[in-house]
Amino acid sequence: MLPEADIPVRLVDDEAHLDFLGAQDDPWLRGLIAEFERHEGRSRRQLSEALAGPLPGPAPQWKRRAAARVLFRLWYRERPQAVSPPLLREVLFRCAAQSKADRIRVREETAFVLQIPPEQLSRWLFCDLPSERLMQKPSQPIAPHSLRQHTNLAIAQATLMRATSVKVALTGNARAIVRLARLRGLLCSVTTAPDAHAASLSLSGPYALFRHTILYGKALAELLPHLAWCNNFELQAECRLHGRVRQVFLDQNAPIAPAKEPRPFDSKLEQRLAEDLQKHALDWHVIREPEPIAAGKHLLFPDFLLQHRLHPRRRVLVELAGFWTPEYLGQKFARLAEANAANLIVCVDAERACGVKAEHGSLHILPYRRHVDVNALMARIEQLC
Amino acid sequence: MRLLFDRGTIVLHDLPNSLDPGAIPGVLWDPRVAAWRAPGRLAYPLASELRRRDVRLSDRPQPQLAPPTGFQPVALRPYQQAAYDAWHGAGRRGIVVMPTGSGKTRVAFAALAATRTPALCLVPTRALLQQWVAELGKFYRGPIGCFGDGERSLAPITVATFASAHRNMPLLGDRFGLLIVDEAHHFGNARHDEALDMAIAPLRLGLTATPPPPGPVLSRIGALIGPIRFELKVSDLQEDALAPFDRITQPLWLDPEERRSYDDLRTLYRGAFSAFRITHPTARWEDFVRIAANTDDGRRAIAAWRACQRLLAFPRCKQLALATWLHRLSDRKTLIFVADNDTAYRVAREHLLMPLTCEIGRNERRLMLDHFQSGAIKALVSAQVLNEGIDVPDADVGIVVAGSRGEREHTQRVGRLLRPSRGKRALVVELVVQQTTEVQSADKRWRRLVA
Repeated sequence: MLPEADIPVRLVDDEAHLDFLGAQDDPWLRGLIAEFERHEGRSRRQLSEALAGPLPGPAPQWKRRAAARVLFRLWYRERPQAVSPPLLREVLFRCAAQSKADRIRVREETAFVLQIPPEQLSRWLFCDLPSERLMQKPSQPIAPHSLRQHTNLAIAQATLMRATSVKVALTGNARAIVRLARLRGLLCSVTTAPDAHAASLSLSGPYALFRHTILYGKALAELLPHLAWCNNFELQAECRLHGRVRQVFLDQNAPIAPAKEPRPFDSKLEQRLAEDLQKHALDWHVIREPEPIAAGKHLLFPDFLLQHRLHPRRRVLVELAGFWTPEYLGQKFARLAEANAANLIVCVDAERACGVKAEHGSLHILPYRRHVDVNALMARIEQLC
Repeated sequence: MRLLFDRGTIVLHDLPNSLDPGAIPGVLWDPRVAAWRAPGRLAYPLASELRRRDVRLSDRPQPQLAPPTGFQPVALRPYQQAAYDAWHGAGRRGIVVMPTGSGKTRVAFAALAATRTPALCLVPTRALLQQWVAELGKFYRGPIGCFGDGERSLAPITVATFASAHRNMPLLGDRFGLLIVDEAHHFGNARHDEALDMAIAPLRLGLTATPPPPGPVLSRIGALIGPIRFELKVSDLQEDALAPFDRITQPLWLDPEERRSYDDLRTLYRGAFSAFRITHPTARWEDFVRIAANTDDGRRAIAAWRACQRLLAFPRCKQLALATWLHRLSDRKTLIFVADNDTAYRVAREHLLMPLTCEIGRNERRLMLDHFQSGAIKALVSAQVLNEGIDVPDADVGIVVAGSRGEREHTQRVGRLLRPSRGKRALVVELVVQQTTEVQSADKRWRRLVA
């Protein structure tokens, strides 16, 4: 992560505007990559010292530092195959402490004992330590535009690392973002936006109530590349930057590298049900992750929508309730009841069902053990519509 | 009514109608979950306050781990016993200030053995983490948990680095009844304070040799750990509990080429800094760096300052002096203190001495300290790893080539040499380049040490 001092940012009153890299930065990025390549085989420290000087051609100071940090991360570090550096150090320094011979002789003796070329001894002595590692070019060359994208992501994430809370308005893929946020221990309240297809997420941590803490910054920053998979997003974060809390705005136009494609299924259970439905529900379209449904101010995210191929008005939503505390299920049922979703079937693990009945108010409950019986589910769907 | 621990905070459930939680200090309304919430630190004071208001609690956070058993008796010296008694007598909350090498850790072990409640020991570095685990193992037969340096295990007695505790306190906060904070002076400046704020532990013991001066930082530490309960200085202890030591300050001079270079760099830096101080009289050094970085002149000034530091870290005169001292003291166990890792590796390469830096892995570090103890290697060179807490029992010579962190660092460094043993007389050699900023710094840090 970039240190605060290295984030290229313009501060205007209470707002911070991130200076992302653009195509105009490619010439000096090319120069930076060339500088790295010139130092292949030398230590990271030597390269850092060289980078403290000017590059050929003008390069904006903070952007350059950010790009260099990212490039350091993308490059490999060479490790010697012939000897383990800690072993080399132990033998050399013990030998030096016990021998009366001069230092050159001690080096030669050590090299002989370890069967390594004496001229490599000094080079390999500390080459496993982070600042002394020998730089090695990655197998796939890094192009300026790729470095630019990675740097922009690093800039945005380093900023969000200092976030105390984040609000995101988004369309598409809201479910994955909510899931990721909760997995990272964040409080995530989801509300409907004026646009029916949009969701508004408010993300922070429990302790954020008391201080503008950046304790949750890492979790918030990790969500950012996943937002790139949403159709649209507008992010507003409160970040502690340069001694003050400032507003940062990002949207889908931010030139950041996206995360890997989101996993299609939350669980193996869900994946298996999807496969079973594809095989057995031949008369139905099986739609994964349909639009969320509103329950009061909140949004709920059913797992499947089954729509009859010949009679499209026959639609059933299916939700897998994987979580199992009584409070959680109670709250979930209350919200589903609030959504008044008559065509919703909730599949509940029978071993963790906490005594729920097959009918819970207007809800239809289908208990399962280990996996959902697709025949039982289809029978319930046929009954329902 | 119930108080529930929620990731570093306390959530108030099932409130009686008569209670106004907003009137209790520290409790805030959390609109995100529609509940009242307080920081974990207030778990016990909040329960007391509610009891005082005749509110019956059916559930409240208590240490989740089983009490530790299997302590060996801990023998304390009289001043250590006095420190423990002072802490115990003050409600088992507060800070003990004792010089490096005087056995602060033993006071902590006595507290662990006496309270017999699950305890979390916080230490600043990975090196100290390993040392605490090893030392605890001599006094305590039960399992020892460890958070940090790639480990994540929980036990009734657990040791964690500050950084790891800060990250994991939402999970660890309700497991322990006692917090022991080694090198407690690192707190109070907001960096890791949240770790202490999120823990429910009512009993807290802070240890330090170098408390911050009275002011907001010390007040904040007081709120998080407790006030200073016991204080001893080097001068109080030197006779019986610390090894006596001699100090030699060797004045050195830059060679003409280095002198010219130093003067030029210093002039460049001072010009920019003086101009900055006129327009920003109350600004801090960080502000200067940030603002200066926006202009070419400013960047040149910062680069000049860095170059000055690099030059003073290991100029030719220091290289020669160090070689002479190492030759002269070749039969004594010597610690060499330098300003940064780069210099440590330079010294290591030139003199074939083992460097101990934060980059050296724990197994190798332990092995090298064992070799140092057995005499298989005679000298170690370090930038910061040996500054705090690391126990190097047999070292009796310290050569201070350069420092980067002022008086506190120096006190800790000298402390490495003062662990007592029969007939020991430590020697501290300082290499000070004349007509540079080093003269004033060296003077200041010695004044602080003997104060």
